[in-house]
Amino acid sequence: MLGYILRRTLSTIPVMAMVGLFVFSLLYIAPGDPAAVIAGDQASPEDIARIRANLGLDRPFLVQFGEWGWRTLHADLGTSIFTGLPVTQMIGQRIEPTLSLMVLTLIFAIVVSVPMGVVAAWKAGTWIDRGIMTFAVLGFSVPVFVIGYVLAYVFALQLDWFPVQGYTPITQGLGPWLGNLVLPALSLGCVYIALIARITRASMLEVLAQDYVRTAKAKGLGQKDVLFLHALKNAAVPIVTVIGIGIALLIGGAVVTESVFAIPGLGRLTVDAILRRDYPVIQGVVLLFSFVYVLVNLVIDILYTFLDPRIRY
Amino acid sequence: MDRRTFIKGVAGAGSLAMSGGLAMPALAQGAAKTLHFVPQANLANFDPIWGTQYVVRNASALVWDMLYGLDASGTPQRQMVESEEVSADGLTWTFKLRPGLKFHDGEKVLAKDVVASLTRWSARDPMGIMIKASQKELVAVDDTTFRWVLSKPFPKMKLALGKTNAPIAFIMPERIAQTDPFKQITEYVGSGPTKFLKGEWVPGAKAVFERFADYVPRSEAPSWLAGGKKMLVDRIEWVVMPDPATAAAALQNGEVDWWEQPLPDLVPLLKGNKNLNVDIGDPLGNVGSFRMNHIQPPFNNPKVRQAVLMALSQEDYMRAVAGDDEKLWKVLPGFFTPGTALYTEVGGEVLKSGKGNLEAAKKLLKESGYNNEPVVCVVAQDQPITKAQGDVTVDLLKKLGMNVDFVATDWGTVGARRALKTPPTQGGWSMFHTWHAGADCTNPAAYPAIRANGDKAWFGWPESPAVEAEVVSWFDAKDLAEEKAAIGRLNKAAVENVTYAPTGFFLSYTAWRKTVSGVTQGPLPFFWGVSKSA
Repeated sequence: MLGYILRRTLSTIPVMAMVGLFVFSLLYIAPGDPAAVIAGDQASPEDIARIRANLGLDRPFLVQFGEWGWRTLHADLGTSIFTGLPVTQMIGQRIEPTLSLMVLTLIFAIVVSVPMGVVAAWKAGTWIDRGIMTFAVLGFSVPVFVIGYVLAYVFALQLDWFPVQGYTPITQGLGPWLGNLVLPALSLGCVYIALIARITRASMLEVLAQDYVRTAKAKGLGQKDVLFLHALKNAAVPIVTVIGIGIALLIGGAVVTESVFAIPGLGRLTVDAILRRDYPVIQGVVLLFSFVYVLVNLVIDILYTFLDPRIRY
Repeated sequence: MDRRTFIKGVAGAGSLAMSGGLAMPALAQGAAKTLHFVPQANLANFDPIWGTQYVVRNASALVWDMLYGLDASGTPQRQMVESEEVSADGLTWTFKLRPGLKFHDGEKVLAKDVVASLTRWSARDPMGIMIKASQKELVAVDDTTFRWVLSKPFPKMKLALGKTNAPIAFIMPERIAQTDPFKQITEYVGSGPTKFLKGEWVPGAKAVFERFADYVPRSEAPSWLAGGKKMLVDRIEWVVMPDPATAAAALQNGEVDWWEQPLPDLVPLLKGNKNLNVDIGDPLGNVGSFRMNHIQPPFNNPKVRQAVLMALSQEDYMRAVAGDDEKLWKVLPGFFTPGTALYTEVGGEVLKSGKGNLEAAKKLLKESGYNNEPVVCVVAQDQPITKAQGDVTVDLLKKLGMNVDFVATDWGTVGARRALKTPPTQGGWSMFHTWHAGADCTNPAAYPAIRANGDKAWFGWPESPAVEAEVVSWFDAKDLAEEKAAIGRLNKAAVENVTYAPTGFFLSYTAWRKTVSGVTQGPLPFFWGVSKSA
């Protein structure tokens, strides 16, 4: 197992290198010019050219890529073209809100969706099943920003239970931290709940038709034990897989959620950087996201061995 | 239902709820000396010379002071300067700084700091460049006196040093001002009424300004950038909110105190909230515009440009940009800001009706010899004002019978593409849309869009000796009457040349909670004199 983890960890290096090259090439060929954005609307073409030269953006592709790659290897993601701040510092400022939002969404989604899927499978074909699946379809179909606005209207403006926007670091208290994150996590979690609930239901339906489930029932085990101890454990592999895949969905959804609730996270940082062509920030954030994605999938792969002892690496 | 309609509905519902009198959250009640402000855009950098975006200028005005400041009447008043002396031939300006000026690091503001700051500013600012072109000497005479010697008179010196247009001649410590004007500064030691807290700056989310206790305001009443800049709150937090519905809800909920520029769609809802004040933010407003490429077909043909100008209905543009609230816009038969001293309609007959004359324009287009050349219309979709104008233009050109190639893109791409002089079919462009702050269009001094000096002109590179001659006439004018006459002739020449196409004059609102007082109208948000009750 240790050898596998080491091999998988090492295999992230070429993946990250490919991502780096891809992102860098894409940004290089994409239209747009950060120097023009910096210089402002009144600037002359000569001003823009001088700013571009000072930023080093007029150098050949390979020179720029080589320098960036070398710096990245030394854990230096460079400096933002616009703010002049180190990219690592900017990511550091933004990582806590995004991580908090994602973790809370993940917990909320799993806690709600797995029992929903199990119950839907158990009551397959009944109004309970249809109700849960209707909710799942809605959760999948309604855009995150719509859910966000509705929640903000009801729970922030109408009931005054939560603030409309912003983020409070966890160091300033669990209550304020949670207060700022409840509505965004609910908004972002809906689509995730829908996804996991549907997969859980499908997987459970398959498992519930197995002989050993019938045997467990015949032995006189309670419904709860049959569903959650026997069936769910065996249905868990596809559920865990979809949770892993869904991390990408979560990252995409965080961009919108952070905008709607004015959370200063990585999603908004990414959008702002793309609109301004802040290349070092875009490259840094995309590398970080891809690293997180690779890491999550590694963790999922390792989890398989615990959920299904037949799986060996 | 589209997204915009949806957010309007949600914010509207919120407005109704709040006007019913929900309690304000503790945030607004507990921090009476902190003003929470939602700026028009993200403060992505903080160097007022390197980056000339309005949001940078607005933040910089809090942190750095200036030698002169324009007041609400448009007159430059002394600010850091105690007195000035001009030689009889108008070639030597000697300035003396007022006592008590300090930087935020506790050091005194000296003449050498001013010299370095003006040197950096004059490398980037259009008026500064003009002064520099005739500069013989800019030196510190002693700690509080500096001298600027020119080879030809520059009567508009005080206007140049006190204007509201970016880049403003802010005064920084010498070591910072010695930074290459095309490189960003990294240290933000100011000379103004508040300190910038770099440690709390989260670009894209928050910028914090703290009252500078050692700042000595002038004794006069504040008026725009002039007078006593007395800070009545201890701390100002700029909270960046990319989503207008969120900003509207936060303002209604008391989580923020002042929203610089609400979306016009949301204004009626904010006006219905008894806890809020809503008023025009900047009476100088904005001038909508699209620019045609004068060096590439088909707009290298003046008759084609004139046909487009003749066809355009400013009413259509303004309704698309500012909505149906007719207090927010007006037809602009020229290029200068309405309500200001030099405003003129001379030569603007073709635009006066505001409705265009499509039939006459079609006839003129036919006469021009237009041969169905493609018009590459580059439109930034991420800026509501350019998108709205672009949609109207495409419709207009099609009605005129032109061959339109609509390129929907973002502002970053427009910014890069408009600098290209290549033919439209080879990556260049035929027209793009933008807008100019009315404060920039009060005279030709800091108004590059009006210049028509060919290769050196702003994007589109118009060339008109008549326009340029009148710019010179304005600079040389000895009194207001002469200035007005020159601007009248300039307006006429620019309409004939179609230096650019003005699409109308429009205003925008600002909104603040009733717990805040002292908010004034102006080309930028002024925080001095603004207070907040619990």
